[in-house]
Amino acid sequence: MTAAATVAVGTGLPAYDVPSVSAEKMKTMAALLADPTPIHWDVATLQALGMGDRPVNQGPLTMGYAMNAVTAWAGGADRLRRLRVRFLGTVLAGQHLRVRGTVTAVREESGARLADCDLVVEVVGEGEGEGDGEGDGPAPVISGSATVVLP
Amino acid sequence: MPFGEAELQAQVGRRFPGGTYTVHPWRAWLLADTVLAEPPSVLPGAGEQVAHPLFAWMAATGAMGITWDELFGWFGATAADGPVFGEHETTLHRPLRVGATYRVSGGIVSGERKVGRRTGAFDVVGYAMDLHETDLHETDLHETDLHETDRHEIEDGSHVATCWNSIVFPRRDA
Repeated sequence: MTAAATVAVGTGLPAYDVPSVSAEKMKTMAALLADPTPIHWDVATLQALGMGDRPVNQGPLTMGYAMNAVTAWAGGADRLRRLRVRFLGTVLAGQHLRVRGTVTAVREESGARLADCDLVVEVVGEGEGEGDGEGDGPAPVISGSATVVLP
Repeated sequence: MPFGEAELQAQVGRRFPGGTYTVHPWRAWLLADTVLAEPPSVLPGAGEQVAHPLFAWMAATGAMGITWDELFGWFGATAADGPVFGEHETTLHRPLRVGATYRVSGGIVSGERKVGRRTGAFDVVGYAMDLHETDLHETDLHETDLHETDRHEIEDGSHVATCWNSIVFPRRDA
């Protein structure tokens, strides 16, 4: 369901979940980016660096989930006008992420109806064998804001 | 020798060589799938399709005209020094299209040395890239190389997007 005509300041965006961040997707992303950084795909490197055995998600991939959340709500990939993010922490393979958002302004600009939203991407679960994160609470890994064109 | 503040400021205003970036249908499909979005159709006759907005960042960084290592080198650093992404902002003036080729241009827009109580000294470097439409289309291109080539003969079209980023360089020796 896309954004309703009743969008107002304080409207919450539907939560967007990534139930388990995929190490396989990181490999494809590394190839698309021609990114030689092995912490995204080589477990032996991670272990040698003392970083455990879970590959680290690329920041742009995590940012892409935030884009998905707002564009799904607004009605399509063509609806995004602006996204600003601050990277606060790393995301590991297997973690459960959730994107949450809240409308902070609704305005008109050049004949288009725009909504500004605050966003946060949080780790809400640690994945297999690492506990479920209960007791620690969600850990923000990205905070930011977005502007979308409303239907 | 430590990288000084004067050297940092001297890099502000430096331009990237720039280049072009094509949202090939295969790229559009793979990126959308990788970022868990609905991939565009690659079937013949699919018509004009909107590309995932993450392509603004992909194009901006993929066609800077220098490698990450070279960029780090402008600031006296290497990947081993631990530079990290700070912030990012994408502004889209119009949607990106599957099959389109964009001219990418930009450079270093800011540099600031800071000192954190826990982190010590670090530099925050801002760089911005603009994407303009070109009259090239996917079917005009024959190369399949991941690294796009510069094409100075291309006429710039409409301004499509601006990507602003900051990188944080730790300065343990400052």
